[in-house]
Amino acid sequence: MFGKSAAPKYTRRALLSAGAAGLATATLGPPANATDERPRVGEEADDAVEVIKRLTGKTPVASDRLRLVMPRTFPNGYTVPLGIEIESPMTESDHVRYIRVVAPRNPLIEVATFHFVPQRSMPRVSTRMRLAEPQFVLAVAELNDGTLLMAKAWVDVATNGCA
Amino acid sequence: MAAVMPRVQVPSSVSKGEVFQIKALISHRMETGLRRDYEGNIIPRDIINKFVCRYNGVDVFTVDLHEAVSANPYFEFYLRATENGQLEFVWYEDGGKLYSLAHQLVVD
Repeated sequence: MFGKSAAPKYTRRALLSAGAAGLATATLGPPANATDERPRVGEEADDAVEVIKRLTGKTPVASDRLRLVMPRTFPNGYTVPLGIEIESPMTESDHVRYIRVVAPRNPLIEVATFHFVPQRSMPRVSTRMRLAEPQFVLAVAELNDGTLLMAKAWVDVATNGCA
Repeated sequence: MAAVMPRVQVPSSVSKGEVFQIKALISHRMETGLRRDYEGNIIPRDIINKFVCRYNGVDVFTVDLHEAVSANPYFEFYLRATENGQLEFVWYEDGGKLYSLAHQLVVD
């Protein structure tokens, strides 16, 4: 029932299977982890980069400059607070264009995109979001030179906020 | 559905060049389109999909919202005071309806 919106809907499965399909043809047979949905050690980080790459077409760089502040555990998945901030002079020649928030393990992975204007608004925002299950929430900030910075925060939620 | 009501909180006066905080909230259930009613029919999506803050007619802060933004979307954001003038806040709902508020900003 998404007929009202013309924007494409990205689910984690659709994004990752698009890439996996290419791999599968080369290796023959289903990928070894086809039935195992649990992330393995080290896989979660690659997964994050992969998700952002497929969404934006760019490879993000993990950065301490971009701060995504979220509670480590939260009792319900309906209203999880998040704060995002990045140091920037916000001049014409050095500013942040937007910050995009993604929840890769939600049924629909996109959360929100915040657009900023040099000299007029600061790249700092707080809001509340829904989480379907415990996961790494990702934030990416695009700078005016096209660089994509990424930060992530692990959030454990006790109840599904998307049901 | 309860009445949709937008609210904003803006400082009464700010000095020129100062960065100030704005809080914007709209009471809205943000129906995701993923839920089903008791008869098993999908409840159609009905969300606020865009929020814009204009400062004397210029878009200075914009948000694209998706289904994962909580019900009663709330934003705290920061603008730089450049001149006296009008701040306008607009929320766009699925189906084309919009809700707006205006606020006169005094810059010393």
